[in-house]
Amino acid sequence: MSTNAAKNLFIYGSLLCFIVLIVLTIDTMGTLDKRAPVITDQVDAGKKVWHKYDCIGCHTILGNGSYFAPDMTKAVERKPKGYLKKFIMDPRTIKADSAMPVLGISEQEADDLIAFLDWIAKVDTNGWPPKPILIAAAAGKAATPGQVLFQQNDCSACHQIQGLGGTAGPDLTRIGLKHADIEWHIKHLKNPESVVPKSAMPDFAHLNDEDLRALAEYMVTLK
Amino acid sequence: MKYQSQKIAVNFYTAALLLFAVQVVVGIIAALQFMWPDFFILNFNTIRTLHINALVVWLLMGMMGATYYVVTEESETELWSIPLAQLQFWATVIAVSAVVIGYIVMGLFPQANIEVFGTQLLNEGREYIEAPRWADILIVVSVLLFLFNCLMTVFKTRKFTAVQGVLLGGLTFLALMYLPGMFYTKSMVKDQFWWWWVVHLWVEGSWELIAAALLAFMLHKLLGAEVRVLAKWMYIETGLVLFTGILGLGHHYYWIGTPKYWLWVGGFFSSLEPIPLLLMVWDAFRTTRETRVAVPNKIGLYLTVAHAIFNFVGAGLWGVIHTLPQVNKWTHGTQLTTAHGHLAFYGAYVLLIVAMIYVTLPSIRGVKEFNQSKGYLAFWWMTISMVFIVITITGAGMVQTYLERLLGLDYVTVKASYNLWFWIFRAIFGVGFLVGVLILVADFFTLGKKPLPAK
Repeated sequence: MSTNAAKNLFIYGSLLCFIVLIVLTIDTMGTLDKRAPVITDQVDAGKKVWHKYDCIGCHTILGNGSYFAPDMTKAVERKPKGYLKKFIMDPRTIKADSAMPVLGISEQEADDLIAFLDWIAKVDTNGWPPKPILIAAAAGKAATPGQVLFQQNDCSACHQIQGLGGTAGPDLTRIGLKHADIEWHIKHLKNPESVVPKSAMPDFAHLNDEDLRALAEYMVTLK
Repeated sequence: MKYQSQKIAVNFYTAALLLFAVQVVVGIIAALQFMWPDFFILNFNTIRTLHINALVVWLLMGMMGATYYVVTEESETELWSIPLAQLQFWATVIAVSAVVIGYIVMGLFPQANIEVFGTQLLNEGREYIEAPRWADILIVVSVLLFLFNCLMTVFKTRKFTAVQGVLLGGLTFLALMYLPGMFYTKSMVKDQFWWWWVVHLWVEGSWELIAAALLAFMLHKLLGAEVRVLAKWMYIETGLVLFTGILGLGHHYYWIGTPKYWLWVGGFFSSLEPIPLLLMVWDAFRTTRETRVAVPNKIGLYLTVAHAIFNFVGAGLWGVIHTLPQVNKWTHGTQLTTAHGHLAFYGAYVLLIVAMIYVTLPSIRGVKEFNQSKGYLAFWWMTISMVFIVITITGAGMVQTYLERLLGLDYVTVKASYNLWFWIFRAIFGVGFLVGVLILVADFFTLGKKPLPAK
């Protein structure tokens, strides 16, 4: 190949690739709004909060960003919104060992941010993040009614048992040693703040008494 | 030194190396914050913003300095306007300082980051391109002045060389690709779509063109290799860089809300991205072998070849291991990306600029021979440290992928489980890297200024 031929290949080949990229970009731009919910003013305001506090300096979103803190793509699916709101405004009262500082985010800003995170969670991301293999496998191993309920209500989104599960709430591996009283657990599930001040846990008062008892019985076996 | 204009390059190199030192110091702070989040007055997000912005800016300044040198040498004339180049240098320094002060203020008082004309005043909160809109405009003006000055210089003598063509073409492409990051969009998906145009088409597009052009220039200057052959391979390399890199952009569009066909486009093209980088390695070795001349500037050649090798290893190999969608589905958003980022930037661009400094500085200072031992020392301190940093982060990424994506452990638990080992090692090697940088900076200031000991 002569130098000139190489030069022409470089120039026209790159141009061709760039034109293909522009065509694909135009096509993609036409589909993006169909692959995500409608953007309300509050979602847009929330996105601006995201930029204002440079959230991406610690967190990833859609898997892009900084790897210092959890990915926010599915945050609203993994944590109750009430918990998120309290956490965003004052992380360490909710979780003492949190690495997140108090940024001075106002209540309005926190609401907007959660609306934005709600929007992000509904974007069609071609199946990312994938369901962890072991969590899916563990779901088939539930034995007692309490364990079944624990999974049905997705308690492991916030609570760990033997290393599996979220860290938003306390680890339940030995919760039976700390609170051995079934009645305490039933009260707690019905109205967390009545027994744990400042609790960020959502209440499960919508469950019937039988289910509440089954869950509480499961809790006291964890030792 | 043949041309007064080439002194401008030293200004840019000086600013670049000082920012390099700042970048590494804040990098060490960031590494410590992985263990102690409250370790420093500024939070991790601000520290990280400073770390990556310092990197990008010092590499750009290094490229500008190198380009001012190359353009005068290739055109065989002084710059079209030396005062304009000096103005452009100081304007850049002032703009960059203003942005840095803005970041620090925002880090200390987040509420100060108010919205002005639909964009944030101090920090736009968009990774790599956090610089606010007013700074974006200043940066664009600075780059345009720079390009204008270089192009006018080329037109003075009308010596259109291949190296100049690709170098200035790459820089123009670089300037154009900054624009997609300069507007606000309500959709985070579109935001990230255009953001990747900037970030990816810079580091896997225009910057690689600049690297290929500077590689050809250095091989010619060091070895006196034939320009025609160098130019031919440079065109083949840059052609392949763009054929694979432009549509390789698709590997960032797997999971961000973009259509499924990007999995095919990105997977296919980006898995070919290492090929041109391997060609550059072969090119560097072949040219060195074929010319068989005694090279007085051994350290320059050494760094040039090292840049080619680590460009291939860091950008090529470390990228290709997680570029296929079947793999990336599990590794996306983990520390593996950090490992790739560190080795790729170090190999492809840090070593490129350091090599350019060692190739051009002796000529600027008018010395044929100089003490090269410090250069080797700096190189090995930096390289060994960086290799260990990358091994450390790669290990962290593998553990993270396994625990988080396969076992389903919570991010915070996983981070705590490898905190101790991985982050302690990373911080230690970070200090090792800083030693290398300090040796480099010291050598830069003294190179060729002391008489050599009598042989």
